[in-house]
Amino acid sequence: MTDTSPTASEQMLSAAREDLIDQEPPRRSLAARLSSKAVAPWIFITPMLLFGAVFFILPLLYAFFISLTRWNSLSAPKWVGFKHYEYLLTTDPVFWQTFWNTMYFAAASIGIGVPLAMVLAYAFTRSKGRTVWRSIYWLPMITNVVAVAYIWKFVLDDRYGLLNRALGFLGLGAPGWLTDPNLALTSVVLIFVWMQLGHNMLLFSAGLASIDESYYEAARLDGANERQCFFRITVPLLMPTTLFVLITNFISGLSYFTLMLVLTDGNGGPLRSTTVTALYMYKMAFEDLRMGRASAVAYLLFAVILVITLI
Amino acid sequence: MKPVRITRVSVVSALTAATALVAPSVAAAETTITVATHYNQEQMGPLLACFDQYTAENPDIKIEFQQAAYGDFLQTILTSRVGGTSPDIYNIYSVWAPQLADAGTLDEPSDEMKDWIRANYGEGSVGAATINGTLWGIPTELSVYQLFYNKKMLAEAGYDAPPATWAELKEIAAAITTKNDQGVIERAGYVYGPSVANAVHVYYSQMYAAGVPPYSEDFRSTNFTTPESIEIVRRMGELFAEGITSNTNITDDFAGGSAAMMIAANWNKAELQSVYGDEFEATVGIAPIPNDGGDPGTMLYSFLWAVDSTSDAKEESWALLKWLNEAQGDASLSCTGEMLNDLGALSGNLADLASMDTDDSFTKPFVAAIESGAAKSQPNIWAASENDRTLRGYIEQVWAGNMTAEEAMAAADAEVTAVLSEQD
Repeated sequence: MTDTSPTASEQMLSAAREDLIDQEPPRRSLAARLSSKAVAPWIFITPMLLFGAVFFILPLLYAFFISLTRWNSLSAPKWVGFKHYEYLLTTDPVFWQTFWNTMYFAAASIGIGVPLAMVLAYAFTRSKGRTVWRSIYWLPMITNVVAVAYIWKFVLDDRYGLLNRALGFLGLGAPGWLTDPNLALTSVVLIFVWMQLGHNMLLFSAGLASIDESYYEAARLDGANERQCFFRITVPLLMPTTLFVLITNFISGLSYFTLMLVLTDGNGGPLRSTTVTALYMYKMAFEDLRMGRASAVAYLLFAVILVITLI
Repeated sequence: MKPVRITRVSVVSALTAATALVAPSVAAAETTITVATHYNQEQMGPLLACFDQYTAENPDIKIEFQQAAYGDFLQTILTSRVGGTSPDIYNIYSVWAPQLADAGTLDEPSDEMKDWIRANYGEGSVGAATINGTLWGIPTELSVYQLFYNKKMLAEAGYDAPPATWAELKEIAAAITTKNDQGVIERAGYVYGPSVANAVHVYYSQMYAAGVPPYSEDFRSTNFTTPESIEIVRRMGELFAEGITSNTNITDDFAGGSAAMMIAANWNKAELQSVYGDEFEATVGIAPIPNDGGDPGTMLYSFLWAVDSTSDAKEESWALLKWLNEAQGDASLSCTGEMLNDLGALSGNLADLASMDTDDSFTKPFVAAIESGAAKSQPNIWAASENDRTLRGYIEQVWAGNMTAEEAMAAADAEVTAVLSEQD
């Protein structure tokens, strides 16, 4: 008869196995876990997330809360719900005027500025001394906006301005570039286009540099002229740059007001013709102390920009 | 015994060290008063010298000066309040006071201080520092509106006296106005300007000249739709419609020699003196606001010294302000009065005003308006900045010919009354 009972050594081995099975896997140290690939990226982006939360998300949420209150920044906010939004959209006679002024300003500045910048960038890419030209067109961008405004005030002055003097020399009338309510905003658009031209040209130049010259060579071999090269090759291949320039210009146009503030001595006149929504909001907040209503204006403007950007 | 000796030495050393430490901390217990104004370092010269004198006489007081540009002053107050670093003393424009007082920003002076202010300041300037019957500070610089006219231009056009009525003003202005080849007014008979005050303060001055205050007594409704008001605004529009003035022609043109008349405040004196030099008195004339008979009237506005309600040194601040606004020793002017005198400005303090050199032909009519009570204080209405801007907007509609005076003032009345009804 064979003895089937386990030997003592087998029993010990079995007991040791059971102990091992019952035992939990060893815990990894905190340092080991922090250095794992899954956690490391979060550690790197945490400062940015914290920065974003403190300086973007919290102010956004706070501004929304403020937009639902009446607050003059000196005493406690009073809850008014959506009354500011209701007032702005249904009662305020100025809000809609400033809104359409803003739309006109943003649309006209890209309508004139973007094609002009594209054409000039294309022309200068093929010209001698392109760096010099680019630097000259870039100068308004690095000039202080107050200086820009004062220079243009002298140029556009009804009586003594260079432009009207030149028109007078040609026997023409003297438009009130900054004093006629029908002309003032267009004048501001033209100055803004002049200011932004160098910046947009630089972006288009970068886009043009990325277009392979072989496309043009092939087109010319097939008999294409300069106009056809521009419209059939340059414009389509520049589309990503154009889209970027259009969106960034439109967004900055929607929230821009510095030039109007300086050109019109802070009044946005004549007859509020140069009062854009951002200027209206600025005066509402810091002159009228209507922080709640100004926050509501900011949110309405934000909504418009968001929708346009998504489209 | 050695251990005991060491302990005594230690105690003596510790006491000596403690005494040395306590001495600077006692010195550091002095009260610091921060004074914020829109005047710059140079303009503040006389007051800064007075600060030094005051701190020398009161070693426990330290005074710090903060300057903020006029356009940024209100924002500076707001920001400092939010940040908990408010100055103790402000020099504020009177129309800011209603909202600052309503928000509890200002400290109410004691009854004794109020009595002192009422006894030493003119009625108009006390009114400018009063909101709903409560006096909130000490009036300082006064600005009074009158008609400015270029004596030489009027003489050239055949007029040897300023206009007394609006009809005369229009006639003289039309005779002086000239246009260039392009049809632009080169020399304007009368000018307004681009700022809110250039239209609204002029309108208020004309309303007081017509004997009608622009707002009701409780500042909860307007008198914009009264016949006098409509007539004033209609006449403004007439000057634009008839090509006597335009948006191109502004108050700066008066100093530039291309405008004959404007309604403006006395603080323009320094600039006009520097422009015209020796010819100043022979060129610039001042006359009451033209009206259609009755007593003369106009508007004044004031700045005032006020104390922040959260200040840790309210009592010390009021004491300093009283000292700064009383002539010290043999001086004929108070410290504030001396600063305003150097600026060519007028003081609301009657003793200062009497001691100032106000006998020149420019200043006399302004002082006369203050002393006679003809100059009424700008109404300290609720949300003055917003309401004034609204009013300017509708006045401009009349200038542009887009609205009749009746339509514009009815619309302005509706909007402004709605804002006025927001106050508690």
